[in-house]
Amino acid sequence: MSITLQLLFTGLGIGSIYALVALGFVLIYRATNVVNFAQGDFSMIGAFLMVVFAVDMGLPYWLSAVIAIAAMAGFGILFNYGVYYPLRHRTFLPVVISTIGASILLQNGVLAAYGPHPQSLPAMLPFPGIAVGGVFLDSQYLLILAVTGAMVVLQYLFFERTMLGKKLQATSQDKEMASLLGIPVALMIGITFAYSAVLGGLAGILVAPLLFVSINMGSTIALKAFAASIIGGFGDVTGAIVGGLALGVVETFGAAYISVPYKDGFAFLVLFLFLMVRPQGVFGEKVAEKA
Amino acid sequence: MALLELISVTASYGAVDALNAVSLRVEEGEIVTLLGANGAGKTTTLRTISGLMKPRSGSIRFLGKEIAGASANSIVRLGLSHVPEGRRIFPGLTVRENILLGSSNRSRVPKAELDRDLDAAFGIFPDILKFADAPGWTLSGGQQQMVAVARGLMARPKLLMLDEPSLGLAPIIVQQVFRTIAAIRERGTTVLLVEQNAHMALSIADRGYVLETGRLIVEGPPATLLNNEEVRAAYLGGRVTAG
Repeated sequence: MSITLQLLFTGLGIGSIYALVALGFVLIYRATNVVNFAQGDFSMIGAFLMVVFAVDMGLPYWLSAVIAIAAMAGFGILFNYGVYYPLRHRTFLPVVISTIGASILLQNGVLAAYGPHPQSLPAMLPFPGIAVGGVFLDSQYLLILAVTGAMVVLQYLFFERTMLGKKLQATSQDKEMASLLGIPVALMIGITFAYSAVLGGLAGILVAPLLFVSINMGSTIALKAFAASIIGGFGDVTGAIVGGLALGVVETFGAAYISVPYKDGFAFLVLFLFLMVRPQGVFGEKVAEKA
Repeated sequence: MALLELISVTASYGAVDALNAVSLRVEEGEIVTLLGANGAGKTTTLRTISGLMKPRSGSIRFLGKEIAGASANSIVRLGLSHVPEGRRIFPGLTVRENILLGSSNRSRVPKAELDRDLDAAFGIFPDILKFADAPGWTLSGGQQQMVAVARGLMARPKLLMLDEPSLGLAPIIVQQVFRTIAAIRERGTTVLLVEQNAHMALSIADRGYVLETGRLIVEGPPATLLNNEEVRAAYLGGRVTAG
């Protein structure tokens, strides 16, 4: 029993990271109808910013995290103006290629600055964890779960309870109508990019002490997060969260009971099953192409 | 000075001309209707006025200010509201949220004032009050049309442009919509109405224009248009045969 709970705890922790990145995918997709293939690199940039502030400059952890997150918001806006905005009237393919190009540029930019050696970050909380019954709750996983939970609640309140949240939803549902009502669509999309970069960056910052901080850390996370968002129902916010958590749990149990080397494979096995049996995902609805 | 004036406006989709030297004006307090068959350019005219399309040449003046080529969200800020064809309700937002977003063109409106305007909108369309918290996609076509017009009115427009508000609605609902349009004008809002239902449109309009393949062919008060042979033949269902 305790081993099951232990695995569930770990799985939900890692699943939270996928959920944060998947949310970033979904929000940008809903606002622009384009999949951002640099979403994982937002996590990588966030983690490297932590290395810069906390390790290289020796700032306190909490302060480094605050600066890194603020920097991610600014980065998201720059990303919007550099990668998406100039191509906004084009079809999805040029934009997708633009995001792939941005991903390559970001990874190699960081490679040029930091070299190929992975960096490491110490754990963020000053205690290793707490034992409850037979289950050891690692402090970094606790932090991940707490921050993700808080973000989900904040995001819900923001989108459902504020006028700005409603305007962002309106923009994602019908951009032309939004502009006819006087909603500044370009600004709304800029805000979406900023927020998605914060989500991605936050995932990178939180996961950094568990993994090495390397230029391609984002790619693995993003692939899993992308799978998670399809499993949940692509374009669905709840689906991204549930899909991310589910994928983390499946992967952790698979590694424990079946095979550790094939750990990364389980996520994609689940993705294959969904694509064959329920391609619209858990929360997705079958939709015909809009007329 | 006319509230809205188009002078020789030309617009095209790629190489295809959609509007050819269209000149029209709307005076304050009028209901002006723009008639024409499918593909005549009625919707294109409204889209060009509201900034969704850029004219290739010509001048569009609203309140004396040149707006040709300006962005849609800057034009609605001047008080020119466009309720497009197909209603375009945000499906995932509630009716109340849809209507409230209509005020996005006004900056820093106090909450109390928004609530008053919202109450006024539901006052004009009491039938949708009971759906205030239902998502937009659950409403029928007629109800969605009411939400779309209510949303347009939340902009407190000086000019309200309606594109085919009767499209796809049951006849009894159509009558209700047209009565409401007449009532909106009574409250002081000028209306530019695009319609295929020419009889209904002319029954409430002060003046009308008829478009044919991107050109205006006739202009005048309803009586003139109703008696115009060409117009009758093309849009009003047949010629009057003598005897």
